[in-house]
Amino acid sequence: MSHSKPDTVSAVLARGRLGIPSVVFFVIAAAAPLTVVAGGATTGYAVTGVTGMPVSYLVVAAVLALFAVGYVAMSRRIVNAGAFYTYVTRGLGRPAGVGAAMVALLAYNAMQVGLYGGAGAVTAQFLNDRYGWQLTWWVCALAVWAIVAVLGVARIDLNGRVLAVVLVAECVVALAFDAIMVTHPADGTVSFDTLAPSHVFAAGIGAALVTAITGFVGFEGTVVFSEETKDPRRTIARATYIAVAVTGLLYGLSAWAMSVATGPDRIVEAARADGTDLIFNLVSPYLADSIVTVARVLFITSLFAALLSFHHTVARYLFALGRERVLPAVFGRTSRRTGAPKVGSLVQSGLALCVLVAYAVAGADPIVHLFFWVTVTGGLGVLILMTVTSAAVIGFFARTTHTEGPWRALIAPMGATLALGGILTVTLREFDTLLGVAPDSPLRWAFPAAYAAAALFGIGWALLLRATNPDVYAAVGLGADSGTGPLRAPDVVRQPA
Amino acid sequence: MRLADEFFYLAHDDQTGRPRLFESATAHGLAAALLGELYGEGRVTFEGRHVRVVNASPPKDWLQHLVLDRLVAEPRHTATRTWLAFLGTTAYEQVATRMWQLGLLRLEQVGRLWRQRTVYVPTDMNTAAWSWARLSFQLRNYQALNAFDLTLAGLAAHTQLDPILLDGTPLATRAFLRQQIEHAPLPVRDLLADLGAVVGGAVLSHRTS
Repeated sequence: MSHSKPDTVSAVLARGRLGIPSVVFFVIAAAAPLTVVAGGATTGYAVTGVTGMPVSYLVVAAVLALFAVGYVAMSRRIVNAGAFYTYVTRGLGRPAGVGAAMVALLAYNAMQVGLYGGAGAVTAQFLNDRYGWQLTWWVCALAVWAIVAVLGVARIDLNGRVLAVVLVAECVVALAFDAIMVTHPADGTVSFDTLAPSHVFAAGIGAALVTAITGFVGFEGTVVFSEETKDPRRTIARATYIAVAVTGLLYGLSAWAMSVATGPDRIVEAARADGTDLIFNLVSPYLADSIVTVARVLFITSLFAALLSFHHTVARYLFALGRERVLPAVFGRTSRRTGAPKVGSLVQSGLALCVLVAYAVAGADPIVHLFFWVTVTGGLGVLILMTVTSAAVIGFFARTTHTEGPWRALIAPMGATLALGGILTVTLREFDTLLGVAPDSPLRWAFPAAYAAAALFGIGWALLLRATNPDVYAAVGLGADSGTGPLRAPDVVRQPA
Repeated sequence: MRLADEFFYLAHDDQTGRPRLFESATAHGLAAALLGELYGEGRVTFEGRHVRVVNASPPKDWLQHLVLDRLVAEPRHTATRTWLAFLGTTAYEQVATRMWQLGLLRLEQVGRLWRQRTVYVPTDMNTAAWSWARLSFQLRNYQALNAFDLTLAGLAAHTQLDPILLDGTPLATRAFLRQQIEHAPLPVRDLLADLGAVVGGAVLSHRTS
């Protein structure tokens, strides 16, 4: 056989393939660790009033690792593996898939737009403190928006090496701060109280858990690179577990270290008083000013990296749906010169601008009402998606012949579905705690209802497509491959590794 | 005139040689054009997602010869997508070299000191603009395209280059182009479908690193 000859094709295609570290860097940078540590965890303490944030991060990391087992196993068998709705389509049928696509669009848009609140407020405060300027949060948010909008259409991602450097710096800063906080405890004793598993059964834990999930959004992006890795079977799986473990431990440790520095009984109070400044204020007595300044700049760059990453995610989703003609075909067009999903990018930027202007006009608080409320609502949407995707993994493996063992095909996805479903249930029950509003406030239902509406719209739209446009209906979930849909049945041809 | 040369002209400015299309789409478009040349010469055909060699006798053109030799030498790879990805890594330089040897392109240094690079500039603007003018004129007048032009227009449409052909035309012209491509021979449509998927995949998994 010719197999003894060197395989030039595979050798050439293997050049420039990604290894585990590159994939881990890409997804952790998108999750933006310092944003979660300095912004998410502190605001989580402040708004929900739950002291169990550290243990929530660890519990969520464990659940997501369980979720990743079936998710990664299924990703090897489908095309367009980067999008949750593809899994739902293949596992639970096309109407559910289109419903999931609409939920995903809403959720990722919410994540992205909410981050502008954080970026605007943090940047404005930094510049005002340092240079004595009188900037409002929305001026800074609009400036950041303009940069993201331009980079989005120009299709410029942050360079892999730059991302890696910034990411390592963020982690070093977070770990150094943690060390300082733990060695300077409030009452002279290091308390492990906020790590106690009993918090999992305390009131308000749903709010804490969904806040924690919000911090992990982005880790699901590993599978986008499945066709570009050296060894698709192992690289993606390992990168996903490493990403979840590293971020989970870092978030849990940092949230705990903050509670040690303030004392577990005063962490909520301190977070309410200092907001996103809390972690910097806690360490500044023990560090040179310049180091704290560098850390603050890294916080801003980390917010920016997350903004750009979620912007690209939304644009890609719109592009894939436009290619399938589920959304108008114009979304499937790219910029001729740059290859950016132009229309998707512009629509996302336009939507973000509308929300920013509305918040500025209404005079709402950028950190609580935009950053926390809207990103956590985005986190809720991703939680819904992960729950449904996990169920879809079970459905997919039940319907196809495969060689996976029962652990990957049934037990792990089943456990993940139950765990995620449980978190979803307590989250919805405690959504008032999450928003920090009165239990009878209509707002507690308004945010979850938006997802119900999006899902119903998607399902209805899919049924309409089935009746009026069977070709489009048949291609749902194929993404960029949909052009080949009507011509022949989809297969899962992969580039040779 | 050969398909890949014409696609090269379409994808670059006829005067300055500056690219009109993003890099990965150009590379995959040229790769598909090279496979299309072999199809036109009756050497290969496309069946579903796979490419099959039907006649291994060497073509006259050295580049076609080179591509066909690779296809024959690597029978374990049959997926059209794999070949588009493989040929896409070298197609740009190869096609440009072939055109340069024929005097269709010349090398020119552009850019300032620290960003100097070499670009291929068409030697004759009229030759370079001819494929664009011909396709554009025929589409605007709703004239049926011949087999060669149909494949070329299909390559443009599936790399998202068609706006340059359809600039300022009513929606009906775009529909006419689509309908023409739908009537291309089945193997050509198979090739184009894979090209569209590969270009779309490049958009989805884009990263700067």
